Amino acid sequence: MGAIRALADRLIGLSATIGIIGIFAQVAVIVTDVIGRAFGAPLYGSQDIVTMVLVIVVFGGMALCDRKGGHIGVDLLEHWFPDWLNRAIDIAAALLGALIFTMIAIAVWESAKLSQMLNLCTNLMRWPKAWFQWALCGFALMAAAGMILRAVELTFLRRDVRREPGV
Amino acid sequence: MTGGEIGTLGIGILLVLLAFRIPVAFSMFLVGFVGIWVLNGWNAAMGLLASETFTLASNPELIVVPVFIPMGNVASFTGMSSALYDAAYALVGRVRGGLAHATVIGCGGFAALSGSSVASALTMGKVSLAQMDRFNYDTRLPTGVVAAGSTLGILIPPSTGFVIYAILTEQSIGRLFLAGVLPGLLLLAMFMLVMAILCWIWPEFGAPGPITTLAEKGRALVGAIPILGVVTATIGGIYGGFFSPPEAAGVGAALVMVYGALTGRMTLAATREAGRDSIITTATVMLILIAAHMINPFLALSHIPTAVGEAMAALNLGVYGTLAVIMVIYLILGCFLEGFAMLVLTLPIFFPVIVALGIDPIWFGVLVVLTLEMGLIPPPVGLNVFVVKSVAPGVPLGRIFQGVLPFWVAMLVTLLLLIVFPQISLFPPDTMFN
Repeated sequence: MGAIRALADRLIGLSATIGIIGIFAQVAVIVTDVIGRAFGAPLYGSQDIVTMVLVIVVFGGMALCDRKGGHIGVDLLEHWFPDWLNRAIDIAAALLGALIFTMIAIAVWESAKLSQMLNLCTNLMRWPKAWFQWALCGFALMAAAGMILRAVELTFLRRDVRREPGV
Repeated sequence: MTGGEIGTLGIGILLVLLAFRIPVAFSMFLVGFVGIWVLNGWNAAMGLLASETFTLASNPELIVVPVFIPMGNVASFTGMSSALYDAAYALVGRVRGGLAHATVIGCGGFAALSGSSVASALTMGKVSLAQMDRFNYDTRLPTGVVAAGSTLGILIPPSTGFVIYAILTEQSIGRLFLAGVLPGLLLLAMFMLVMAILCWIWPEFGAPGPITTLAEKGRALVGAIPILGVVTATIGGIYGGFFSPPEAAGVGAALVMVYGALTGRMTLAATREAGRDSIITTATVMLILIAAHMINPFLALSHIPTAVGEAMAALNLGVYGTLAVIMVIYLILGCFLEGFAMLVLTLPIFFPVIVALGIDPIWFGVLVVLTLEMGLIPPPVGLNVFVVKSVAPGVPLGRIFQGVLPFWVAMLVTLLLLIVFPQISLFPPDTMFN
């Protein structure tokens, strides 16, 4: 189980690093475009680049967000619940999250097939939308896998990785 | 079952899931997806899931979310926030409670830049609480100031609260930013008034700080030029027509990064840390937004917003009565729910009512985001209070809550003033945009 966790953390870290690079890339593209526009030479296709990179940024961080316990919950009644119930809720939430991200991946995968069939592309750069939909699916599945692993650890090892450092 | 009954059942299930600590985004996804499935079929639910997810994740307006967040994180890492505090202290530190006045100005500036009240409470708490402790301030004032002062950023642009409201209600981000300026300054003045009154009645609350020389004042003000420059460039750029709000976010982030690189404070480790914080916050916010776009169509299909609107119209409360009811609901919910989650959960129901009554959505936006921030400081879940507690572990929670109470009252008075005088919010955008 330790080896699986180590591998999962590496993949989560990789996914997040791609997202972080995406954020800095967006900043660079926006600034280049704004400066270029001031001199009458805006960056061609900057809107296409930043919007498609946004997909990577948003979903690249999903697995890390779950690993770090970043999802907002209402913990008002937490200290009123017995420990076993809190653990059961954590497991149920992780499994529900995994189901949701798997559903997202399936729905977007089907949509990507349509995009490919209709040859849907970004306006200026003509980048196929399906590429980014596939990337979204990959990141969503990684987030789902991370949540399943977390549920397994909570169930059998009583270990909550969200309270541990790493990644 | 009728659509209304299914909608009511859905809201009930949503509340139960939230009470059982299921993350807000997951709860909204589940209820929204299953609700649409029941009302319109599986294909409609899957189609909406695919389209809303990709459309929102590639929405150019939402670039502000991932790009504004690192701007605040990097500003914190590079010491820009503490420079602003030093400058405020140089100006007002000598008066009674001067350190507290400097803190509230610093909090406002940093929270505006970072767009996050919690980040501001954490950063300014670290910077200022030890200073005030050194001058034997009563612990209630410093902790109250940091917890309450950090809420200022929601009104002073650029504010992520306004961005989220604008996206959910399809309003102009520029108009909302401008509408927040005067209310933000009014709230800042109210906070300073509260501190002046407290220190006047109980001088032990805040002794005057040491005298700073003219040279020290000059140095502190020069140190704050970079952060003031970033705020001026981003906001000035939007209203000067040089760039859009998403571009302003990019320019602001680039400016703080360049400053960090030039001063040598923006190390690789700091860059990575800022990036990590940013990507986690982005994922949290964006997932809730996508989930909100799943539950909104479900509520619309179930005709719940229409029913609530009709019920409120039947009460015949008028504009102010309806506003009062909504604000009271927000104030109560704010004691239990996270502000952003509350916004996405309630706007689909209240916003159509507001529009039907002819209430200006920009004005309503200002009132709503102020009310959301009020929820960050009262018990039992005042998030900012817990953040301050983490920075000041030696101060009992009860004393921190006592400290924030006068500021909460000041926020309530500001809210009432904004309701009675809508011009405070609407004058700047109406003047500049019309």
